[in-house]
Amino acid sequence: MIEKIIKKKNKGGQFKIQQMAFMILAVFLFFILIGLGFLSFQTKSLQGNYQNLQRDQAISSLQVLTDMPELSCGYLCLDEDKLRVMSRKSEQYSQFWPVASVKVYKVYPSFESVIKCPSVDCNYFEIYDSKQQNNQEYSTYISLCKRVKENDNIYNKCEIGKLVVGVKINDE
Amino acid sequence: MKNKKADFNFTLLFAIVLGAAILILAIYGVMKISNTQRYTTDSEIAKKITIITDPLQAGFSQGKFGKITFKQETKINNICFDGGIGRQDISVSTKSGVGEDWQNPGAATSVYNKYIFSDEKEQGKEFYVFSKPFNFPYKISDLIFLTSKDYCFIEPPTEIEDEILDLGVINVKVSNNGIANCSSGAIRVCFGGVGDCDIKIYGSCVSNCKTSFDSGYVEKDGNRLDFIGNLMYAAIFSDSYVYDCNIKRLMYRTGKITEVLAGKADLMNSRGCNTNLWPDLVTYSGLTSNAKSSDLGNLNKLAQELDRKNNLELCRVW
Repeated sequence: MIEKIIKKKNKGGQFKIQQMAFMILAVFLFFILIGLGFLSFQTKSLQGNYQNLQRDQAISSLQVLTDMPELSCGYLCLDEDKLRVMSRKSEQYSQFWPVASVKVYKVYPSFESVIKCPSVDCNYFEIYDSKQQNNQEYSTYISLCKRVKENDNIYNKCEIGKLVVGVKINDE
Repeated sequence: MKNKKADFNFTLLFAIVLGAAILILAIYGVMKISNTQRYTTDSEIAKKITIITDPLQAGFSQGKFGKITFKQETKINNICFDGGIGRQDISVSTKSGVGEDWQNPGAATSVYNKYIFSDEKEQGKEFYVFSKPFNFPYKISDLIFLTSKDYCFIEPPTEIEDEILDLGVINVKVSNNGIANCSSGAIRVCFGGVGDCDIKIYGSCVSNCKTSFDSGYVEKDGNRLDFIGNLMYAAIFSDSYVYDCNIKRLMYRTGKITEVLAGKADLMNSRGCNTNLWPDLVTYSGLTSNAKSSDLGNLNKLAQELDRKNNLELCRVW
């Protein structure tokens, strides 16, 4: 009789322990789920921040690049001769640029097809291209000048150009 | 009765042990997440610093000044690597009230196209950033100075005093009445080597100069740092390791820009806008590419001669 009572009580105790263990496990899993949700949110916000920083860098780089002595001939002015030289040196400067690509187009006088420099009547300089996929491009208009001598007059001959920089956008 | 007590105690003990285990796990998890969060934030700040300094570059102005303020005490590490174009790795660690005060810095952002002069480790809540152009003899780059300390320039030449006042560099005070006017925590900078100062500047320019401090050397922590032009500020605001490394990077860049100018001279010659500078540029490029701070004085003479020749040309290269 006493044995029976003890067995019954033990069963009740075991049941209580099992109940508590399941409850604790449930609470634990609940907090893990909350943690995973938080981590996923953090990762998304980190990706967003990364893309915003990349975009900010690309936009501020437009100003920085037009001031760079390797390309510049004054305020918002790029030197066509320097561009010709730099487009042949893209390998040497591969790590130097703070963006994924740097390209310059002549936009006026207007053209029908893009012809890469150096070649006759070219209108496009590829200064650097990292060949990265998913580039987003930002651009600004600039003067594109070169020093010329015509009829014993020396002057800066300028055209309208567009500086285009690319920034890598991550896949979702 | 006895069994019931034992049963109750075991249940309680089980709950306490499991509860404590979960609590410890939760605290460990929170600490880990908090550390990861700090690492992420520190990495973002390092990237932001490199972006913030973009508009602070002098460009076509004589200089620019700005202030970066952090909510907490912050350490900025500036590790410089020379060799070719070189780079600077900027990393940040912020002080926190949770866990350890300081943890390892966040991921470093590598900067290839800037020359940031500071101590290898700068610490503070407020960082002062200003920039000046570096011409040698043509524009090479902007020099960016980053410091959290206060400075007191004792009796500087009028030109330098005006430069500092015009830029509004608020952490640099000028004292024209000796050391007594400097605040107690400020780093004292003496011009001409006279006085009891932390940094002494000796000028050596004798011809074609705005002041004798257009070239010379800075004596600091037992090191001699040779300078020309605006590199004087670089020598004042950075330690000798960052200074020497950045000078090597700047000289390499000078060589590369000179190569571009030589190429430009070639193209100008080909279309009848003749210039005789090509051989001088090629020689200058070779000499600057591997130069270091002790070569600055001799190279400066060559640079001045190159500038004089360019000014005599009808078709100027720069």
